[in-house]
Amino acid sequence: MRSAFLLLLLSSFVFASEGGEVLARPYDLWEGIYKIWLVITVVIYAVVAIPSLIFMVKYRYKPGEREVGDQEHEGHWGLEALWTIIPLIIVLYLATHGFAIFTQMRKPPENALELKVTAFSWGWMFQYPNGKMVVASAIRDTEEKKCKPEECYRVDGVFQHYVYIPAGVPVKVILTSQDVIHSFYVQAAGVTQDAVPGRTTYTWFQINKPGEYWVFCREYCGQWHSRMFAKLKVVPKEEFERWLKGESADVSHEREDLRVANINAEDQEVVR
Amino acid sequence: MREAVHVERPWFAASIWEWIFTTDHKKIGIMYGVTSTLFFIVAGLMALGMRMELFNPGAQYLNPETYNYFLTVHGTVILLWWAIGVWASFANFLIPLMIGARDVAFPRLNALGYWMFFAASVIALLTFIPGNQIMTMWTGYPPLSAKEGIGFAGTTALFVFIWHLTGFASIAGAVNFITTVIRMRQPGIGFFNLNLFIHGVIAANVIQLLGVPSVAGAVTMLFLDTYLNTSFFDPTKGGDPILYQNLFWFYSHPAVYVMVLPAFGIISEIVSAFARKPIFGYRSMVIAIWAIAVVGFTVWTHHMFVSGIPDWVKILMSYTTLLIAVPTGIKIFNWVATLYRAAIVYRTPMLYALGAILMFLIGGLTGIPLGLPAFDIAVHDSYFVVGHFHYVLGMAVTLSAFGGFFYWWPKVTGRMYSEGLGKLSFWLVLIGSNLLYFPQLVIGLMGMPRRYYDYPAIPEWVTLHQIQTYGAFILAFGLLIALVALIKGALSGEKAGPNPWESNSLEWRIPSPPPPHNFDKPPKVEEDYCPHGYCKF
Repeated sequence: MRSAFLLLLLSSFVFASEGGEVLARPYDLWEGIYKIWLVITVVIYAVVAIPSLIFMVKYRYKPGEREVGDQEHEGHWGLEALWTIIPLIIVLYLATHGFAIFTQMRKPPENALELKVTAFSWGWMFQYPNGKMVVASAIRDTEEKKCKPEECYRVDGVFQHYVYIPAGVPVKVILTSQDVIHSFYVQAAGVTQDAVPGRTTYTWFQINKPGEYWVFCREYCGQWHSRMFAKLKVVPKEEFERWLKGESADVSHEREDLRVANINAEDQEVVR
Repeated sequence: MREAVHVERPWFAASIWEWIFTTDHKKIGIMYGVTSTLFFIVAGLMALGMRMELFNPGAQYLNPETYNYFLTVHGTVILLWWAIGVWASFANFLIPLMIGARDVAFPRLNALGYWMFFAASVIALLTFIPGNQIMTMWTGYPPLSAKEGIGFAGTTALFVFIWHLTGFASIAGAVNFITTVIRMRQPGIGFFNLNLFIHGVIAANVIQLLGVPSVAGAVTMLFLDTYLNTSFFDPTKGGDPILYQNLFWFYSHPAVYVMVLPAFGIISEIVSAFARKPIFGYRSMVIAIWAIAVVGFTVWTHHMFVSGIPDWVKILMSYTTLLIAVPTGIKIFNWVATLYRAAIVYRTPMLYALGAILMFLIGGLTGIPLGLPAFDIAVHDSYFVVGHFHYVLGMAVTLSAFGGFFYWWPKVTGRMYSEGLGKLSFWLVLIGSNLLYFPQLVIGLMGMPRRYYDYPAIPEWVTLHQIQTYGAFILAFGLLIALVALIKGALSGEKAGPNPWESNSLEWRIPSPPPPHNFDKPPKVEEDYCPHGYCKF
């Protein structure tokens, strides 16, 4: 009992440590449910493991003293009902709370920036509302001269484009795939959504602090699944607007990239 | 023509022809056990290869094709050969002995089932041939797995045939065991005084009977899509890849209960025997097993929370998924209550069973949030999932399978295993497994995706991967010691006698190893017979 109380005390510190501006949405909602789960889990583990360990030590076989266990207590309906009903209440609470949080998580804010994302083997093509495109694929080299230094980064000797995202603006991602099933996971925002060929799915996120953030593919998609990642460059809104209106030459180059990606996809058919 | 139930020499004196043509449930059980264990070792070695590759970011020893091949075979073999196959071994050897029968109901079908399993094993070995490798992952999601060739899914046909053949073996076994237990029990053994192991196996077999056709249909359609240009799952021709996922998980989620319910049964057998008292709450244990089996069929879409299914389905299946925690919790609380006022004898099987309970609890508690779409959205297909199911399969199932090996080893071989080595193996396995699987939970919460051959050099990720690799080697060493303890016991252990653990269950009332006909005369069970009662002969 005392340990449960201590854990509750501990949990209040966990909750209290929050505050200030959140780094990313809907990660803040996820953190809430994560902490609730963590506290419940630690308490349940303690409630089971501590008596188990005490019994394991206390009720050892002792020759001449305790050679046989208690034969009388084969069950106790009251106890068994107790550890049916209490877990039932806990899981119903968790599922209902999770339901409420999930409903909030799935609702993209009204003013969200719409980003169309098409996954391919192995990368994503991002299309912004004004038609500007960025192809992020860590398996193909982007020629250095076509890359403005601040718009690209080098990963294992390969140049790759940053995906620009405005800070503090919700982004709704409309996903599909042009070959196999991929997915789109924004690490900082804690959202995953599969990109399924023939379907469109959606998710949304918002990152408040400028910086670089990972995007990974989490649905196994063949040979280079592990190289299917991208980096988001979150920049202040003004800088994003400036980038978005950037030279159109860049866009044609991106279209070229997409064409290459499409040819790659066709090559896969040929291999088959 | 050969008789279906044929009296043969005991297993240790039998010739190779007797082994091949046998219909004896004990010999078939041993063949299942040997095949499962050999494939468990192969899959384990592949896991070591992957752990070495992941020791540092970047390419180390393997190329991505080999890594994906290892991962596919590791998953498929551990699930179909070990987590499901090893229970076929226990069930074959033990069920007729526990209910006082001479053999299973359909001995020839039983032998056919094993040889189908053997054929699947041959096909699994064929994938070693370069060019035949399968890279579909054990789930084989189309459209990826419907594209053949290097760099894609490999040879999809072999993946499909493995499922067909093991599925046939599962259905043959299920028909057999269900019929055996319904029709061939000794008078006096009823639904509420069967061994809990039998309840676990029969519930698992009912799941097999209802579920396997679904996955068999799914992989058959996958085969047709790949080779005969049908379009069940091809979106460019009007098919739907999500359909495959539904059909696949309709079986493959209940399949995790096929893996874990017999493990629960074995834990109950061992805990009761070494606590030297009856199992606490036998009836609620039985109800819990069957509740898990039934509710298990209503939860499959939690594997598809991010694949684009409607949100209301996610919420519905979130409730049913979490409900599974209730019967599972009952079982854990009952095991703990069994320890209360017990006289616990710490032999190797008991260590393995207690370890399985406390580790399964971690596996269960980390499974709960995965049933909440709000939580799952951030950790879906991450290492958190990998850690969760390794706590269940790598710990709860594997620890109880090894506990079962040690527990029934004296019955199977007639000799005791090596106690010192057995206990050493338990501690090595426990420490190694936790070093391996706990960092998986942590790194998963940090966002590490699963099925990655390579990962970015984020410092915490590198450290956590390195701890896992060390753990994997400790675990492998522990399992090696366990096998040595068993084999050494079989060769040179002391004679065990019929009932070394003083259990009340029927299999301990006949000599060890059991004679070919099991019982000299049909065993008479007491009026108040209970397999988990304590007895002293």
